[in-house]
Amino acid sequence: MNLEILLSIAFGGAFLTYIFGKISRRLRDFFSVFISLILTIFLSYFYGKFEVVPYFSFLGIPLILRINTLSWFFAITIQLITTFSVIFSLSYMKEKERLDFYYFMMLLVNAGMLGIVLAADLLSFYIFWEIMSWSAFLLISYNRGTALEAGMKYIVMSIIGSMCMLVAMISLYTNYGTLNISQISSQISSASSGYILFIFILLLVAFGIKNATWPFHTWLPPAHSEAPSPFSAVLSGILVRMGMYGFLIIFYVILGLKLFLNLGKGLCSFHYILAWVGAINIVIPTFIAMFQNDSKRLLAWHGIGQGGYMVLGIAIGTSLGIVGGIFHIVNHTSYIALLFLVVGAIEYRTKGVRDLNSLGGLIKKMPITFLGALVGACGLIGVPLTNGFVSKWLIYKTLILKGYSFLAFAALIGTWGTILSLYKFIHNIFLGQLPEKYKDIEKAPFSMQFPIIILSLIIILFGILPGIPLKVVNSIGVSFGFKSLDVNIWGIISETGILNLVNIFTAILVSLIFFWIIFRSGAERVKILQDNSYAAGSYIPKDKYNYTVEFYQPLFRMIKPYFRDFIDEFYSKIVETGRRLSDRIRKVYCGDLGYYVTYIVLFLAILIAIKLWGKIW
Amino acid sequence: MIYYIGALGLIFIGLFIIMTRHNLIKMIIGLNIMDTGVNLFLISIGYIRKGTAPIFSKPGINPGAMVDPTPQALVLTAIVIGVAVIAMALSLAIRLYQHYGTLNMRKIKEQRW
Amino acid sequence: MNPVLLIVIPLGFAFFIPLLGFISRKAEKFIPSLALLINIILSLSLLPSVMRKPIIVLLGGFPPPFCINLFVGPVGVIFSLIIAIVGFLVSIYAWSYIGGDGKREEKYHMLYLLLLAGATGVVLTGDIFNLFVFYEILCISSYALVAYLGEKAGVESASKYLIQGSVGSTLILIAIGLLYGQFGTLNMADIAQNINTINPLHLFIPLVLLLTGLGVEAAIFPLNAWLPDAHSSAPSTISAILSGIAIKIGIYAMARVVFTIFGAYQILLFLILLGVITLLVGELSAFSQNNIKRMLAYSSIGQMGLILLALSIGTVEGISSGLFQIFTHAFSKSLLFLAAGYMIYQAGSLKISSLEGMGKKMPLSSLAFSIGAFSLIGLPPFMGFGSKFMIIRSLLEKGNSLFTTLAGIVLVGTVIEGAYFFKVIQRLYFKETAESEGGVKEAPVGALLPMIFLVVLIISIGVYPKMITGILNSCAGELLNRLEYIKAVFGG
Repeated sequence: MNLEILLSIAFGGAFLTYIFGKISRRLRDFFSVFISLILTIFLSYFYGKFEVVPYFSFLGIPLILRINTLSWFFAITIQLITTFSVIFSLSYMKEKERLDFYYFMMLLVNAGMLGIVLAADLLSFYIFWEIMSWSAFLLISYNRGTALEAGMKYIVMSIIGSMCMLVAMISLYTNYGTLNISQISSQISSASSGYILFIFILLLVAFGIKNATWPFHTWLPPAHSEAPSPFSAVLSGILVRMGMYGFLIIFYVILGLKLFLNLGKGLCSFHYILAWVGAINIVIPTFIAMFQNDSKRLLAWHGIGQGGYMVLGIAIGTSLGIVGGIFHIVNHTSYIALLFLVVGAIEYRTKGVRDLNSLGGLIKKMPITFLGALVGACGLIGVPLTNGFVSKWLIYKTLILKGYSFLAFAALIGTWGTILSLYKFIHNIFLGQLPEKYKDIEKAPFSMQFPIIILSLIIILFGILPGIPLKVVNSIGVSFGFKSLDVNIWGIISETGILNLVNIFTAILVSLIFFWIIFRSGAERVKILQDNSYAAGSYIPKDKYNYTVEFYQPLFRMIKPYFRDFIDEFYSKIVETGRRLSDRIRKVYCGDLGYYVTYIVLFLAILIAIKLWGKIW
Repeated sequence: MIYYIGALGLIFIGLFIIMTRHNLIKMIIGLNIMDTGVNLFLISIGYIRKGTAPIFSKPGINPGAMVDPTPQALVLTAIVIGVAVIAMALSLAIRLYQHYGTLNMRKIKEQRW
Repeated sequence: MNPVLLIVIPLGFAFFIPLLGFISRKAEKFIPSLALLINIILSLSLLPSVMRKPIIVLLGGFPPPFCINLFVGPVGVIFSLIIAIVGFLVSIYAWSYIGGDGKREEKYHMLYLLLLAGATGVVLTGDIFNLFVFYEILCISSYALVAYLGEKAGVESASKYLIQGSVGSTLILIAIGLLYGQFGTLNMADIAQNINTINPLHLFIPLVLLLTGLGVEAAIFPLNAWLPDAHSSAPSTISAILSGIAIKIGIYAMARVVFTIFGAYQILLFLILLGVITLLVGELSAFSQNNIKRMLAYSSIGQMGLILLALSIGTVEGISSGLFQIFTHAFSKSLLFLAAGYMIYQAGSLKISSLEGMGKKMPLSSLAFSIGAFSLIGLPPFMGFGSKFMIIRSLLEKGNSLFTTLAGIVLVGTVIEGAYFFKVIQRLYFKETAESEGGVKEAPVGALLPMIFLVVLIISIGVYPKMITGILNSCAGELLNRLEYIKAVFGG
């Protein structure tokens, strides 16, 4: 019963926001934040509860909501990220137009996502999935201009995914007479492996497209970079990860652990192939990210890359792996959202500049934003004392334990790429020379700083005390049938070693204090001015200190001939062929009446001919 | 039998005209010929050689020799419909000529693709 | 209440309109709405009783085989309900849309009512020649209405439509003649009863002729060359009616012929093939179209393919999903045409690019357009989702790989449809436009009301498809169960 109220608040709140927007701007802004907060509080009340509520029936199929640890975990993540983005939007979107629509869609996407994770049957899953998809489309296209193409790419791929899901869902329904996830999972073990593979591949395509898993990733970079930044945070942070949720549902809820691991044999076993897909997903996108000059596009490619880690963790199918994978989802959500919000704040102050070549030196102007970016980047790289470290540690450990050395190596390479590209990101925005025109830039307003600060704190908190989320994640793993891990508030005890982050934290803190004391007690500090350096013996004027252009240029020159998105080109070619085919087919309607009548007569003749000679019926 | 052949012949002639002629008026004529053929066909279904009118006007008429009245009723209706269609077509042809200055349907191809 | 009124009221009111012109010129545009409102009420009140048992109306008083009878079953009533609802809403829209430049428009309203009277007659009659007569009433009035504005495009399309339509009707008439020659009767139930007594080869020719002739109106692939022209150049109200109703009448007649009269189940596989081809040709042709009404017209072809496909599955689920899709398409496509109507009027051009930025200038029309498009694509929570769901389900329920492939093809069609509709929606809302042209304003209230009503219908049936699925099932039963049909006519 309560779940229904929750969803009605989510959807009703979205509608009401739109209506209130027609009355007054303030009311709308206030109300959208209010709704997000209410939902957050409501959701946190559900912690540890289990509930199954049938709420409606569609074409004779009962629609059911349920909450358990898995869905609670996702729901609270969704809700928190949306709340932060909405708060961030208050000032980011202030001068834009059609805000009623913006907030409406933002909350609708949120409601759709909540619906997805709360759905206990595939039909309501599909319905909420579609609501989420088209409202996200409207938000991606919001910025106009090049955003339109990004939106088209997104929605076409999204429809293809949904259609695959629809076929899989209805096929399950016709075979088992139910769409209830738990009932299907109890019956599917008797199905032939060919049928399971059929369903599995359809669903894999459906969720893979949303999760932007290679080779279905092509929609993501343009969509992420063109959407309004607060929505990019939601999009990259959690909307894309609905695909991960879908993977979890099919692998471990519908198929179940045993069936999933037994799908295929040896090197061709399904989860092993999937793990390789994950590895490809890590390596290629992170290196592509290195050469991006658009800050949001750079982050977008990381969104794809980090998805690879999650797939890797989940596909291996050990308890360490699954905990690492799921934990990585929430970690990724926190730092990628943080980074997108940082970019948003910079965009806001620089009037929409995202080009990494023309920014620089903003560290003094926007210190808090810089700290946010630093923490976010550390999280993304996986520096110890941030949450990204913990989940990556878990995933590495899994790979090493299993002896998948190539996969582990791929994950490691991915981390190098991440370091390089995020160094570029931070350097080009915050370090280096401050361009003349940004001299009078102000720091970000409070409503932007607030979510940045909170998210940074969350990243560090989960990095030092990973036990808080890991306990929940572990119980999700247990509910999938994995054996429980020994999780403590300070870290994790696994069969290969202990990860105690509080100890690490103390060690680092102590050494930091130690070095600080040494440095303080040492010589006087000397400040060296920027002008005070010479290149080849000649003085360089101040405005020539611009390191930020053409980063990694030699490396880029080296790989340039291969630096093409072959898959994207392939898809574009398909669309182009379709368009040409369409033009060709339309020529049938040539405008000549004589031909038209001939068509009728020919049709008649063919019908008779078929009957007389073909015996088709 | 000869009526059926005649009717079929008319229908095919009409169709042939519509398919091959370019002039709208000729096409309409073709349509009319086709209509006539169909009407003839309908009539000949109910026709009996040396039959009588389907009315018991005087005693002793053999009902088996009566011409079937239903096709005649059908044909009447069909003729009326045909006339309406032809009238409509001709009035459209007039309008078309006003717009294009020609009735050659090979040249009137603005609506296509 | 006598179901004959369903036909008599629009027919009578149609001829009353020009007379009324002598008394009051203003009143004539309200007559169609009034007549159709009565029809809605009549159909609704008939619905419960025909669900239990079909009503046979004898015109002339003889028992069935000898006189014309109306067969008022669930199918007939549901179709006349669709006709009346769509017709009613479109006629309200026409209050402000048609005329306005001082010309008298009694011809428009009269022809409009005649068209709908013809359509209602086709779906209710139980006599095949009578079906032909009503069908011709529908066709002739639609030829005239396509050319109503007297513009270049309209006249050209109407004359082409007329020639093709007449060739089609002639084929139907030949088929009726052949049937009469073989059975000596025109009553559909009577023919159906004796269908097995005749050599199947002799039956084949009338069946093929009927399929071809009706296929012209139903827009089956090679026969539908008139449709994009006529739908795109007619006034938008007429496009809505043609797309929403007229082509459905063709498909209804085909279903009646195939299922009830001939019981020709062996032909269904071929019809499915035709449906798939029509679907793909229609959707692909719409894909790269830049004339908005032409795009909608091609999408109608695609949807007709889908409907034909669904009906030809030949199971109760299949047929009811096809009828559901007829509902969806009738409401959604007429909504799309109505919404596009005023946008085109204000933009002064049929080009999709000229509609850019309409989302801001005409918010409600654009919203209605988007909802219609969403519904046609089959996105929840709109009506199209229910019908698409049912179609895919009935395809997959057949359980063999051919039908699974067909489901795949249907969904490929949906993807293409989604692509072009979303492109239009993007242009409506997210395209930069040169401001200033201040002349563009929202459609008048009289035009918005029917759109809003259609939107409400689409959403409420989308959320509660149960409202109509029960009726659709008994419709499917009527179409599939020939013996019941024959018994209902003769057994009294």
